[in-house]
Order: sequence, then C-alpha cells, then structure tokens
Amino acid sequence: MNSWIHVLSLDLAVVAIAAAVMLVDALLSLRGKSLGWLVVAALTGVLAASFFVDVVGVTPHGAYVSDAWVLFFKRVFLVAAILGILGSIDWLEQRASRRQAEYYALVLFSLVGMMLLPGARDWVLLVVAFELMGVPLYVLAGYAKNDGEPDSPKLAAEAALKLFVTGAASSTFTFFGLALLVGLSGSTMIGQGVQPSPLASVGLLMIIAGFGFKLGAVPFHFWVPDTYQGAPTPFVSFLSVAPKAGGLAALCVILMSTGWIGSHELWGPAIVLLSVASMAVGNLFALPQTDSRRLLGFSGIAQIGYVLIALAAATEQGLAMALFFIAAYVFTNLGLFLVVHAAAENMGGHGIAQMSGLSRRSPWLGGALLVFLLSLAGIPFVIGFWAKLFVFLEAYRAGLIVPVLIGIVLAVVGLFYYLSVARSTFMAEGTSDARIHSGLALRAAIGICLAAVVLFGLWPDPLVEGANAAARAFMAGR
Amino acid sequence: MTLVQCLLLASALFSVGVYGLITRRQAVAMLLSIELMVNAANLALVAFAKYAGAPTQPLVLFTLAITVAEVAVGLALVMLLYRRYDDTLLDAASETKG
Repeated sequence: MNSWIHVLSLDLAVVAIAAAVMLVDALLSLRGKSLGWLVVAALTGVLAASFFVDVVGVTPHGAYVSDAWVLFFKRVFLVAAILGILGSIDWLEQRASRRQAEYYALVLFSLVGMMLLPGARDWVLLVVAFELMGVPLYVLAGYAKNDGEPDSPKLAAEAALKLFVTGAASSTFTFFGLALLVGLSGSTMIGQGVQPSPLASVGLLMIIAGFGFKLGAVPFHFWVPDTYQGAPTPFVSFLSVAPKAGGLAALCVILMSTGWIGSHELWGPAIVLLSVASMAVGNLFALPQTDSRRLLGFSGIAQIGYVLIALAAATEQGLAMALFFIAAYVFTNLGLFLVVHAAAENMGGHGIAQMSGLSRRSPWLGGALLVFLLSLAGIPFVIGFWAKLFVFLEAYRAGLIVPVLIGIVLAVVGLFYYLSVARSTFMAEGTSDARIHSGLALRAAIGICLAAVVLFGLWPDPLVEGANAAARAFMAGR
Repeated sequence: MTLVQCLLLASALFSVGVYGLITRRQAVAMLLSIELMVNAANLALVAFAKYAGAPTQPLVLFTLAITVAEVAVGLALVMLLYRRYDDTLLDAASETKG
C-alpha cells in the first residue's frame, strides 16, 4: 500500500510547479516566452511520470482513492492544460507580457483542483477541489482587461462577471445541498448514502444543479456563449474542455457511488432530461450564430448533451464511452478554438463571415479547421465519429431509445452549422490573400490536436481500452 | 428552536438570496445576495450539527473560506466593471450578443 504522499504525488508536483512559477517570476523576472515553455516542459514531465510512477492507493480515512479511473482523468486534464498553455504563450507575450506568470499559476491551480476531483470520496474534499478548479477560472476569464478585440469593445469585465455570478450562485446551491445530504446521512463520505426522503431528493437536485453549471448543461448554460465571446480565446480553448471534464468526473463520483439514494431510477430521468434539453438547445441555438465563439459555445452545450446520455445509461460500458467522448472532445474543441484564435488574430475578428478565404490564406489552418469541424459533427474516420457512435450505441443498449433518436436527429441539425463554417472558410472569397502568421507554440498546439484527432480517428483502440479500464476500476472500487 | 424550524429559516433566507440575485441589477447587490445564500447554507450546516449530531460544523469553516476567496475575486471583477463602464449596473455590461 502506497503512502498518501505517493498517492497524491502527481497533484503535489503540479502544486510545486505553480509555486515555482510565482517564485521564478518574483526573483528572476524572466523575459519573453521562456516561462511558458518551462511550464509546458514541466507539465509534460508530470504527464510522462503518470505512466511510470505507481500512484494507486487510498489516503487515510478513505477520503481520496487513486486508481485507473483517476489516472485517466488526470492525464486528460494534464493534456488539456499543456495544450491550453501552449496555445496561450504567443497571445500572452503579445498582449499581456507583464502578467504572464499569474496566468500560468492560475491555470495550474485550477488544474490541481481538477486533478483532485475524480478521486475524491469525501464531500468536503470534492467541494473544495471543485472550488479550487472554479475560482481561478473567474480571474482568467477577465484576463484580457486591457485588450480590445479589433472589431468589438472590451468584453472582459462582462465575460468574467457572468461566469462569476453564475459560478458563485451555483456553488451556494452546492453548499445548501451538501448541508442537507451530510446532515441527513450523518457522514461526510460520499459513499455513505442516505435514506430516500423528499428532503434528500431536494439536496441531491441542488448538488446536481451546482455541478451541472460547470458542465454548461441546459438549464445552467447561460454563461457559456457570453463568456466564450468575451474571454481571451486561447483561455477559452482550455475553459471549454477541462472544467467540463472535471464536472463530468464530479457528477460520476456523486451519482454512481453505492449506498447512495442514487438508485439509478431516481437520478436517471433527471440526467436524461438534462441531456435532451442540452442537445436541443445547443444545436438549435447554434444555427443562427454569426460569431464563431458563440457558435462553438452552443455547440459545446450540445456535445455535453451527448456525454450525459451515456452517463444516463449508468452501465460500465456507458461510463467508459462517456470518458472516451470527453477525451475526444478535449482534443477536438481545444484545437478548434486555437485555430479560430489563430485565424482571428490575422483576419480582424471572430465573425464567421470574417473567416472567409481562410483556406486560401493558410491551407494548413483551413485543413485543421475542417478536420476539427468534421470531428465535432461526427463524420467517419475522425475521432468524433467513434465518440458519437459509441455513446449512442451504449445509450441504445441501455434502453434509452427515444433520447437516442432525438440525439441523432439533432446531430444531423448540427451538420448544418458546422458545415456552414467550413463553407465560409473554403468557398467564400476573402478580402485579402496575405499569408497568415502564427507563433510556433500556437502551431505546435494545433498540430498536436490535429494529430490526435486523426490518429485516434483511424485507430481509436488505445483510447477506448484506457476508458474501459478506467470505468472498470471505478465501478469495482466505488 | 428545533431542527425543522432552523431549516425553514435557512430555506427562507436562501429564497430571499435567490430573489435578490434575480431581481437586482447592481453587481454589488448581487454579491450581497450570494452572501445571503451562503449564510443560509451555513445556518443549515450548524443546525444539523446542533440538533442531529451530524459532523457538519467543521464544514462551515470550509464554506466560509471558499466564499471569502470567491468574494475577493468578485469584488475585483466589480472594480473592473466600474472602470470600464463608470457604473456597477450589470445591464450596462451586456455587449455580448448573438
């Protein structure tokens, strides 16, 4: 049995990196992009270590359990943070060169919160980790405070406040639900469970509401498009994937714990309802959007609907496919936002119309954009196709036939707006033919996402096996 | 007071907070409403510890610490809003659209 230091070694390493970033900034005042590259190198080291260091074990009092499930999520979060930081390096150097270290430190603290979520088996740890993930994101959403978009006014204050108000309000719902559940069960362990009663159901619903906010599922989605539009785009690439995976992990831990009033009959219908509402609202509201970031915001709401339908199946296979979907979503959506960022920096704005002629000005970016869009739409031989197929298949096997049919119809609706973006970039004439220049770090991040989307699309087995092992470990050890 | 009365009071306080959050457009007033909701949750936590012997009292310290961190960020964001619009009305800040 490993000691708790071993069990939490990866998380402690990230804490150490965050502390080192702030120290280095205070003592050495590094110039330029070197700090960003150092953080990326350090996080890559932690990611590599996750394959060699044995972190399986339980901390004292069973508050934190580390197994294959936790490792899968930790790797997803680390990959998202590495790619998100890689995509931000050039933007930070250009627009906020004197505030770089804080940006990295905040991302890293948020990352620690995420990494603690999937293994938490104690309400206190779960809630504290969730807030540790959330609070740095409020700051980061307002990071572009001095930086007006070329075509629009400064939106940072609005973006950050909308995220903050919904976030803070939803965490009070979590606190109140927590009071009811812990009070009724008499224990802070999540697996303890409570006797079914109306008061316990109210508590559970309040907690689902609190955690559903980070997922951006309908009806907790109002912040999504506004924040995506106003926050710095490289940060949105991270915000749009990692906290959603974190919210999913927390929701799984809460709902699937044994002894829980969470007999599936109780929460299953609630999750199906959230899922169908998210798919419908996300896909239909995305159709009339003219700003690429708002369109991707609504598309993200729809994608969360697809994940939740697999979660509602409440089987080991369904859970595994939800994990696979979220991993695929990390690569696809992160890459897509970074392409949008690279294009907008050169083409004067984030409007879909302003993207016209992108493929002529940079065939490489245009091609990457097309691949990511096809992956989100679920076209064969990119990773998103398998993700969508597996998710619908598992939900169908679990007997959720009507929601799956609704989902498939809405996925076809989704094709329209994804392809309308592609049409704008490939068919429409642009105003200029000048080549597009983007930084090395940004290109590297997009390249890694592109490679992952294509390679896992052709050969999804390793990722599927990882997701299966994670789900098996979770169901066995809950 | 019994547990039920305490929970009713906490629920009432929480509802007042939700009402304030929905109706007020002033950013500072919305922060105050959120504080009210947190304190309602704290009241429920303490009530469970006192009347039902649940281990909820230490939780209050955690919720307080989290809320302090949140409000520190929130007030900074309100300052940002004020510098941008010379006002703390959230209605002034609704330029995102679509």
